[in-house]
Amino acid sequence: MYGRRRMGYSTLLFLHVTSAFTMVTAAGLFLAIALAQRSDRHSATALRLAPVAAVLWPIGSLLAIVFGVWLALHDSQYSLGDGWIIAAIVLWVIGGAIGGRLGAGYRKVTSSGAAADPSALVMNLALIVTLLVMLIDMIYKPGAS
Amino acid sequence: MTVLLIRPDSWNLPLLLHVGGAMALVASVTVAAVALLQGWRASGPAAASLKRFGARTLLYAAIPSYFVMRIAAQWVLSKEGLDNSNAAWIGDGFLAADAGFVLLVIAAIVANLAVRRDPESGLGKLAKVGAGLSVVLIALYVFAVWAMTTKPT
Repeated sequence: MYGRRRMGYSTLLFLHVTSAFTMVTAAGLFLAIALAQRSDRHSATALRLAPVAAVLWPIGSLLAIVFGVWLALHDSQYSLGDGWIIAAIVLWVIGGAIGGRLGAGYRKVTSSGAAADPSALVMNLALIVTLLVMLIDMIYKPGAS
Repeated sequence: MTVLLIRPDSWNLPLLLHVGGAMALVASVTVAAVALLQGWRASGPAAASLKRFGARTLLYAAIPSYFVMRIAAQWVLSKEGLDNSNAAWIGDGFLAADAGFVLLVIAAIVANLAVRRDPESGLGKLAKVGAGLSVVLIALYVFAVWAMTTKPT
């Protein structure tokens, strides 16, 4: 009984953490695109990274929340009403909105050749700060007993 | 039997640096792999630009991230009193980190050598080796995440 339960928890944790790594990887690609767009020499490079980021971001963020909520429901020590879990969900919504807007902007530049959004670098920094605060929340679990 | 879900507070900072460093490492190796693989498919100035971008990402982002992840890993082990542990998952972690570091250094060297030798052309054999090694590294890191989260015995 215990073995089955632990196996379930471990597998869910692996899937949740792997999804989070995928989200951060997509954010890394978004940042690389923004940095590459700052120089004419690398602007074509940036656009070749965009399709991969546009796929990884929605997959990573969707699976991270699905497996995260599943973990919270699976283990009796967690509850969806815990402060740190509510904070993580709010941060996930904020991150999702920023990442979604960045991905859509880069897709537009790739498909129609529109000029890069000048606020992209600021949005990238906001996304990185959001993901960092989310990681701190996951590790420190403030308020958990 | 209770699974320990809440750690002592003193473990949190090294764990944050370990996981954060690992995330930055995976992200930067993936950015480099995507740039090099796209450069493999491209031609002309775009291929040269992608080759340079991938090589520089390995050198200036992936290697520093590796050191943050690895030094923090040792710090976490020390905090948890596991320095001399023979647990399989710790061995798997060392394997992925240390063997991965050798592959990472080789990938960074060959990719940057390719840029230095021929900055204006496509990937060439050396940078293709760098691209292949980057993909192998991503697979190795997925294995490491599996070992760290499931802690197989």
